[in-house]
Amino acid sequence: MAAPMLELKGVRTAYGNIEALKGVDLDIREGEIIALLGANGAGKTTTLCSITGLVPPKSGSIVFDGQDIRGARTESLVRKGLIMVPEGRRIFPGLTVLENLKMGAYLISDKRAISQDLEYIFNLFPILATRSRQSGGTLSGGEQQMLAISRSLMGHPRMLLLDEPSLGLAPIVIRNIFDIIRKINRENGTTILLVEQNANLALMLAHRAYIMTTGLITLSGTASEFLNDESVRKAYLGG
Amino acid sequence: MTNPSSSQKPGRAILAEIKAGLLASLWICLLAFPLMTLEINPSSHTISFSASRLPFLAGATFVLAILWRFFLRRRAFQGVSKAVLKSEGLPEGLIKGPKPTWLTVVMGSRFRYPVLAILLGFMALLPFVSPPYLVNVMVKALIYVSLGLGLNVVVGVSGLLNLGYVAFYAMGAYTYALLGQYLGLGFWVCLPLGALVATLMGLLLGFPVIRLSGDYLAIVTLSFGEITRLVLTNLDITRGPRGISNIRPAGFFGLDLNGPIKDFLVANLGVDKDMDINKILTYFIILGLVILTIICVFRLENSRLGRAWLAMREDEVACQAMGINKTRAKLTAFALGSTWAGLAGVVFASHLSFINPTIFSFMESIMILSIVVLGGMGSIPGVILGALVLIVLPEQLRAFSQYRMLIFGALMVLMMVFRPGGLIQSAREVYLHKLGGQDGPQGGPAGGAARIEALNGAGRPVEGDGRG
Repeated sequence: MAAPMLELKGVRTAYGNIEALKGVDLDIREGEIIALLGANGAGKTTTLCSITGLVPPKSGSIVFDGQDIRGARTESLVRKGLIMVPEGRRIFPGLTVLENLKMGAYLISDKRAISQDLEYIFNLFPILATRSRQSGGTLSGGEQQMLAISRSLMGHPRMLLLDEPSLGLAPIVIRNIFDIIRKINRENGTTILLVEQNANLALMLAHRAYIMTTGLITLSGTASEFLNDESVRKAYLGG
Repeated sequence: MTNPSSSQKPGRAILAEIKAGLLASLWICLLAFPLMTLEINPSSHTISFSASRLPFLAGATFVLAILWRFFLRRRAFQGVSKAVLKSEGLPEGLIKGPKPTWLTVVMGSRFRYPVLAILLGFMALLPFVSPPYLVNVMVKALIYVSLGLGLNVVVGVSGLLNLGYVAFYAMGAYTYALLGQYLGLGFWVCLPLGALVATLMGLLLGFPVIRLSGDYLAIVTLSFGEITRLVLTNLDITRGPRGISNIRPAGFFGLDLNGPIKDFLVANLGVDKDMDINKILTYFIILGLVILTIICVFRLENSRLGRAWLAMREDEVACQAMGINKTRAKLTAFALGSTWAGLAGVVFASHLSFINPTIFSFMESIMILSIVVLGGMGSIPGVILGALVLIVLPEQLRAFSQYRMLIFGALMVLMMVFRPGGLIQSAREVYLHKLGGQDGPQGGPAGGAARIEALNGAGRPVEGDGRG
């Protein structure tokens, strides 16, 4: 099997004296959808922040595309195609939808590519085309999540790190968004690392999954293994 | 709705109002007690007591308090109608913004260029028909417009609170004064040099402090402003507190403007015979600079970098996730803002022909910041209006000069309560909401009773906008 696209080995990250990650090992191959599951405070978001350099890890190695990226600046990783959709959507409420999308293409200077991408996004989420002149803050939660995902797509990601895209959304909206995530993965071959609390849904979508508990990966396997494993179901999926 | 007691028992509500008014006037009387009652007589070294002014103060406060509460109530009722709109399914943010103003309407229409041309023509003719005094005031006001627009990039657009902006203004002014004094360099050479010095100092200061945010950045920049002033006061080369005098005005191809040219202008164009023609030149220089600034700031705001600044103000983490180099983006804003202070400083030095460190005090930074806040953060027309209001009005209302700061303070408080976005709010926050099935350039939300169209593009077309 080919070398993994992203590989974490013994990653330790701390906020002051509190160690949030106590040696995380994780690998993702190109084209996969990986779900990273776990309870609140398990270190899922910290793992994403460690990868993207928002919170630099203390030790361990993070290799993306054969290069050690531990401690690299976030913007250089975005340039390499490693893009995160931050938790809680974090769209720019005062900018219009169109401007939000253009912010996603900040590092892309080819104007024709940007307008093609816009067209692609508006096909993917037609509601964003309707709302393109509206300011981001006026969108509903689901629309904001669509905007957040679209905004990161504008930066031509090779790997997308999604932090709880289902947070605070209605089930029907979540399904819609998960369908789109699957579509992005299939059509563009974008590798996806999905952090979720909604384990059932995430496992339906993912190829493989990791389960985190208090700063460590405690279980890993294919999504179907998890869905069929009685003990996992009991512990993490609510029966 | 907001005040159920008033609809149920009007008598009790009025009583409550009177009570609140009395409370306010009692409070003011206590606060102002020593100020209003004690009178120091310096010649006889005695302190006398007189309570005769207190009742007037109490009465005035009472009336003002009642009025104040009335206007606040009215504002709250506007909030209710907004809540009603919201219950009809309109998104909150859309309703929040004010209706389009005459400004956005004019600037969005096809009369935009004629209106601008008339305005420009008026500004161009002004110095030839007005008394010298007014030209001086206008030069001062335009210097503040360009300072305000420069600070607007830093504070209004990027959200970096810079309280030491005057330091960069001083650097521009001193660059011209010193280079002119010691090396004999002229205005036109020093104009870019002053800008360069201010920009470089902006970068130097910005580099270590830009990682600070909010209050911390404000404190550091405030200190920097004070340090600059103290250094200028104590250096020998700047002649300390005595300052530098006899700074030459801007030259015009080496011509003597107050010679035959002045005779010609006075004879043929009706220019005031006491007018210093150099002032007219300075007026046009600063007018040109302001126009250049407006174009630059406008282009910047709608550029990739400008969007990054706006986005940075809203969410730094998301910006980083988009691949924006946070430090670099902030530093550019900081340094670019300083550039305009430098330019304005050079013009200022040539205009006044004398500068000393006391001119560049902390109060001046506050004044420029007030222009930005009063006018409307991030709004170009707002900042222009703010500068005109805060600079020209005090000049015209000399009779009230004693009460200048009092009026200024009251104005600021009133504005923060009733118009927190500034006199002319940033167009970015203006939305038009249309009810009913009128036609717009784009399809409305499906199935909604209301058609909503954001008017963000008015006067500042977004790329790909057919209206531009």
